[in-house]
Amino acid sequence: MESRHRPGILSVAPTAVRGALRASGPLLALLALTIGFALADSDFATIANLRVILDSAAVPLVLAVGMTFVIRQGSIDLSVEGMMAACSLLFACVVANDRMQVNLGWFGLPAAAALGGVFGLANGLVVTRLRVPSFMATLGMGAIALGAAMLMSGDQPPLIQDPVLRQWGLGQTFGLPNLALAAASCLVVGLFVEQYTRLGRYGYVIGGAEGVARASGLDVDFYKVLGFAFAGLLIGLAAAMESARLGLGHVGIGEGKMLGTITAVVIGGTPLSGGSGSVRGSAVGVLTLAVLANGMVFIGATPDLEKAIQGAIVLVAVVVANWHLRDRLRIVK
Amino acid sequence: MRHEIVGTAAAAVRLALALALTSALPVAHADAPCEKSQIRLVNSMREIAQPYHVNLNKGGRMFARWAGLEDQYVLQLNQGDSDKQVALMRSILATNAKCTIFNVEPNADVVMKPMVDTAKATGAWIVTHWVYNRGLHPFDGYDRWIAHVAVNSQDVGVAVSDRLVAAMDGKGGIVVLHGRLDTDPAQKRFAGLKAVLAKHSGVTLLAQQPANWDRTAAFPIMQAWLAKYGDRIRGVWAANDDMALGALEALRAAGLAGRVPVVGVDGIPEAIAAVARGEMTATVSSDAFYQGSIGLAMGVCVLTGQAPAPQTWSKQRREFFLRVVVITKDNAAQYAKEPEADAYAPEWRCDNLWSRATGPAF
Repeated sequence: MESRHRPGILSVAPTAVRGALRASGPLLALLALTIGFALADSDFATIANLRVILDSAAVPLVLAVGMTFVIRQGSIDLSVEGMMAACSLLFACVVANDRMQVNLGWFGLPAAAALGGVFGLANGLVVTRLRVPSFMATLGMGAIALGAAMLMSGDQPPLIQDPVLRQWGLGQTFGLPNLALAAASCLVVGLFVEQYTRLGRYGYVIGGAEGVARASGLDVDFYKVLGFAFAGLLIGLAAAMESARLGLGHVGIGEGKMLGTITAVVIGGTPLSGGSGSVRGSAVGVLTLAVLANGMVFIGATPDLEKAIQGAIVLVAVVVANWHLRDRLRIVK
Repeated sequence: MRHEIVGTAAAAVRLALALALTSALPVAHADAPCEKSQIRLVNSMREIAQPYHVNLNKGGRMFARWAGLEDQYVLQLNQGDSDKQVALMRSILATNAKCTIFNVEPNADVVMKPMVDTAKATGAWIVTHWVYNRGLHPFDGYDRWIAHVAVNSQDVGVAVSDRLVAAMDGKGGIVVLHGRLDTDPAQKRFAGLKAVLAKHSGVTLLAQQPANWDRTAAFPIMQAWLAKYGDRIRGVWAANDDMALGALEALRAAGLAGRVPVVGVDGIPEAIAAVARGEMTATVSSDAFYQGSIGLAMGVCVLTGQAPAPQTWSKQRREFFLRVVVITKDNAAQYAKEPEADAYAPEWRCDNLWSRATGPAF
């Protein structure tokens, strides 16, 4: 029964070399990509562009931190786009805007996160109490959230008019984009929760062998719900960040974000089957995708081919990043 | 019990059909005008989440109110589902087909044929917009397909590109944000830009990327371009306003909003506001209020006998390109506020239905 566990995580690493390789697989892919683009275009490796990459990685990073917990516990969250839409609309409607006479200022951020948390909680409850598979439950929840967002959007999307929040979304502090700093804080929180809380530690066990976890008396359902809620919280926050940056509450704000997030988590070494992986790896996965998207713009690939090239590089990155796992994955579905 | 209900419902449908058939009988000619109280106006479109569609619906409703037919106005939303658009049409035509007028924003190219065929089969009246179907024309045997109102996307591309080049004094580099490149408007708007660039050798195309009509996708692309090209970027060309607004926010983050000319297409309210503030140079509007109402106006004119039967119209009155409006700082204020019915009333008059036609389409 222990066979599906990665020993390095719950006990001692088998050998230092193997452990180092495992941890550095995704990192190697990121490095190779960065060097490749730097060689292809001399303007790529500049401080200015590093800022751009960090800025564009900010929102995906916040999403990926949450998604790591969900995927690691053996679930999936497909409600990202709908939830982002709803949280974006809520955020835009409670900070200074052109539609409603409300102005919560900075409290708009926790408000958006709270709505995300509630949706996440609902996701978890539908999965654990109603026993609906997570891909189905979250897909449905995403559609509900999207519908609510459409309703809130109405005739015209609400425009955010709080200059402080706009400046937060677009500006820099100490030479770094504010949103990148916010995302880094989320990363630190994610690392802490992963290492030092039951939610983090039990996630590995639940994803690795849920039956064993239950038999050992773990309250599996409770921690699963918690995992979904944590991810929801971060989705809400990510929606608020993107809204502050673009200056409005937008139904399409999460477009393409769900697949991007899952891809980043998988590139970062968390298998879709759950049970292993790390927030740190997901962060590397996010950076890999950010470097890829940015580099494609730099080398100016013809628009028609761009998607194909991007897909090929993602495939290679997944193979490189997960090379060490190929023996362990006895069954690939 | 269940059977009984189904049976009753079926009987009711049969009765309704019979009534619909017999009510047409006393009228001598099938194309005879309808009583005003019988006329039904239907606007068929994708959704009302985007400003464009919101204004389509408002235009239709504005006309209905103006014509005293507001109670007979129906809005059909297909949520981007082509099958649903046809199904919704067929279901409402179960009754009173011959006095029903459809004003249609087709969800896709392929949806047009089934819809005009449905009109032909049921005797309903239809006016279509936008799409292009090779070899399918109202004047080829479709007496009930009143007109097709197309938009010349290449001209739209030329119009905004001219403004962009002028704002750059005819020199410098531009970056281009494409829509979905598998769509006709995306390709033709870009063709318009290329035609303008061919005449202005001082303007160079630095880079182009698809951003899928989407402002969240446009933002990081614009940021990357700013890191790569810096102040060599003297203009931004976007195939729609949403992407133009995403690029504008990236310019704002770099402190360049209002200093680099940006153009878009669609004339959505936010873009018009940005044009008024001087942060965008121009956008082009096909005027959703007009598109949402003109088909209904044509239908009412035909059904009340104030305009002759469509088959007697000339070809270019049945299939034409729509004049579009270029919105710049000079006229932005005029388009910033919601229009009144009075502004459109002269163009809804039965002898003036083609005031915005710029010639035969395709």
